Amino acid sequence: MRALLHAEVLKLRTTRGPYVYLFLLVALSALLAAANATAAHLLDLADPAFQRDLVSDSVAAPLIALVLGIVSVTAEWRHGTITRTLLLSPRRWRVLAAKEINAFALGVFLALVGLAVAIAVAAPILSRDGTPLQVDGPFAVRMLEIVLASALWGALGAGLGALVQHQAGALVGAILWILLVESLLAALFDALHVDRIDDFLPRHAFNALAGHQAGLSPGASGAVAAGYVAFFAAIAFLRIRRQDIT
Amino acid sequence: MIEVEHLTKRFGATVAVDDLSFSVSPGNVTGFLGPNGAGKSTTLRALLGLVVPDTGSTRVLGRSYVELVRPLERVGAILETAEAHPGRSGRNHLRVLAVGAGIPHTRVDEVLELVDLRDVSRRRVKTYSLGMRQRLALAAALLGDPEVLVLDEPANGLDPQGIRWLRDFLRKLAADGRTVLVSSHVLAEVAQTVDHVVIIHKGRLVRQATMAEVQAMAAGSTVARSPQAGRLGELLEAAGIAVRSMGDGALSIGAPTARVGEIAAANGVVLHELTTPRATLEEVFLELTGGEEP
Repeated sequence: MRALLHAEVLKLRTTRGPYVYLFLLVALSALLAAANATAAHLLDLADPAFQRDLVSDSVAAPLIALVLGIVSVTAEWRHGTITRTLLLSPRRWRVLAAKEINAFALGVFLALVGLAVAIAVAAPILSRDGTPLQVDGPFAVRMLEIVLASALWGALGAGLGALVQHQAGALVGAILWILLVESLLAALFDALHVDRIDDFLPRHAFNALAGHQAGLSPGASGAVAAGYVAFFAAIAFLRIRRQDIT
Repeated sequence: MIEVEHLTKRFGATVAVDDLSFSVSPGNVTGFLGPNGAGKSTTLRALLGLVVPDTGSTRVLGRSYVELVRPLERVGAILETAEAHPGRSGRNHLRVLAVGAGIPHTRVDEVLELVDLRDVSRRRVKTYSLGMRQRLALAAALLGDPEVLVLDEPANGLDPQGIRWLRDFLRKLAADGRTVLVSSHVLAEVAQTVDHVVIIHKGRLVRQATMAEVQAMAAGSTVARSPQAGRLGELLEAAGIAVRSMGDGALSIGAPTARVGEIAAANGVVLHELTTPRATLEEVFLELTGGEEP
């Protein structure tokens, strides 16, 4: 398994795509941090809770982790490299596990980069305004939550990619769900006066874990998000377990 | 050693492989032939664990491919040329495989040298010609220095020098005691390379034979042209010889020219032509598969 994981990392390092996404992450995180810090009211900036929101909301890692998780798996089908991958490791569960672990680790890496960029951009602006960034216990916990959310988004992307396999289909489907379908479902639940069901929908749970919106507690939202990752990984495995690679 | 036993595979209503059985022994190059859609690729993919059989089984070195430990060091395969990420360099493509299989990096340079790709190994695969991609696929197949090679159209895209090199290389591998199974639609190329052939048609085994046997089958046929073709045909059939009319007074006869000439002379039948068609694997193949080109 260690060799397969090394191979997965090398796959990412030896094509240009991941570097483009990394550049996007750095650019977006810097832009968001600068915009959030300069647009905020001076009184808010002194509030540690506001500072935590400011930094975590500036990290663009979760979305990019999801996209890269999808792309890292669907590229195998898109370019036909899945054949050589399965010749290398004919036990398919090992391939899927390696891709899930790789996408999880990639999410961690992207979140750490995004956090570093957001802090590096926001901290000088806050200091200039006389409200230095307060890095304390709650700040560290919040940052850990966003790292975990990003990692789980990446793993979810890998599972979704292995299930759908068509790259454009998986990307469009995921983005439509996040931007449209889940909002429509939440509105429907509201109209039906069904409370709190929407907290268990994927985007809501992942966002609650990252502190981007109210909902379940971090522990509960983390468990729900991990449940989605496990669910997609399981049905993806059921699909590829006896799939004919032609 | 490769063993295929009663392999059947359907895709929807289409039966791609139908109760196919054959074996390939070490120390030989075996040609795997059949017309387009005969089930060759499906069979090779089933052998390599990529296609799940409906019934029957396949074994390489006594086990199913999925059960092999460190499979790249046991079996090398070429299945398609579009097997490398176009944005990755040839060297990095092989490095990924080497890392995943636990093969030393030095082997990557060795196989690149072997297939003459070292100078372009840092270029991205999408800039490669078809022949270069085929050589990269061969390098990937050879990476683990395997005992068994399963090659689907390995000469595809190679220039004449490359084809000659491949032919010699495969013969050398077989001489080392390795098992080599090669599918190809270039029959002339196969005829010069293989020791055995496995011919399939519509998913079923048509013939498994040595090349010597196949060439003997071709050598046993004669074409005779006579103004008394009907009479000659009757005489030959009476002698227990298979005869097929080719029209215009010509007969295809399943016997050597000497025997046909003797029967004609003994019965006073005039012959305008008595020839042995050039003995080729292709003719036998067309005969066995009902005239469909591979």
